[in-house]
Amino acid sequence: MSSAEQQQQRPRFKWGIVHIYSSYNNIIVHLTDLTGAETIARASGGMFVDAGRLEPTPYAGMRAATYVMEKAKEAGINAVHIRVRAPGGVKSRTPGPATQAAIRTIARSGVMIGRIEDVTPLPHDSVRKKGGRRGRRV
Amino acid sequence: MGFSGWGEFTGTSFVVHIPKERIGVLIGQQGRVKKEIEDRLGVQLKIDSGSGTVVINLSKSPHEGGDPAALFKAKDIVTAIARGFSPERAFKLFDEDTILSVVDISEYVGRSANNLVRVRSRLIGTGGKTRRIIEENCHVELSIYGDTVAIIGEYNDVRAAEEAVIALIKGAPHGAVYKMVDEHARRRKTGGLVRPF
Repeated sequence: MSSAEQQQQRPRFKWGIVHIYSSYNNIIVHLTDLTGAETIARASGGMFVDAGRLEPTPYAGMRAATYVMEKAKEAGINAVHIRVRAPGGVKSRTPGPATQAAIRTIARSGVMIGRIEDVTPLPHDSVRKKGGRRGRRV
Repeated sequence: MGFSGWGEFTGTSFVVHIPKERIGVLIGQQGRVKKEIEDRLGVQLKIDSGSGTVVINLSKSPHEGGDPAALFKAKDIVTAIARGFSPERAFKLFDEDTILSVVDISEYVGRSANNLVRVRSRLIGTGGKTRRIIEENCHVELSIYGDTVAIIGEYNDVRAAEEAVIALIKGAPHGAVYKMVDEHARRRKTGGLVRPF
């Protein structure tokens, strides 16, 4: 890409990264700039529903994503990369139920979507899972 | 990594590795299974039958109306087929609420082949009895294949089934696990687990 071209395209897109962390118990939607170090907006499931068990639901994911995308518009972000993450490590490696709703909401909010990545930390070898030898006893 | 800088659009693709013997199932007769996944989700599957690498792409970019969430669905379905599900059972994942979970047995039992076979047969039970009880009580689909157990179902059901499977792997007696899933079935029936949305 030549520098003249860059100059021309610069005003068109202001990029951000949406980090979606989705566990069994909550969802966190977090918008940062491209470096990932500067937070622009952040929302979690508990900000929109009252019961703890509703925090990971698609509805909470949708509301959290809507809130963040509104803030994105205020900040002038019109293109985002999406990074989806589950707890990972020795915990669950599949993102929770709110993820899909959140991604869909972002896609429909009218911003351009660049890359979608799964950034769940996957261990090459790891410590023992919690719960002990006899597992979780209810 | 490498972000695409200003302006230029680079599509996103997911990569899944599947065992060679499952490639045929993923493609289906005259490519039927592959075609159904592609049509229903708006994705493109590139299958390398030499190495078993499947590359999943959106057929339309998100700003042309492609649904990025479909990528995750497609990844789940391909993984489900790779983990031993028949296409018919894997297609339950098209549903919005159903999810796939894969439990790795070798994480719990180590690498001994004998141990693996013993645990696997404990999970299946005589004539598939244990598997059937978990499937019926939790309303999930279970596939025990190689050293993984794959579970398809709705969110809470999958969690309950996962817990039951892990308990069995860790050596809980079958009776205790049956009680666990029975309890789940009862709570499910009385509405304790119904999500309000």
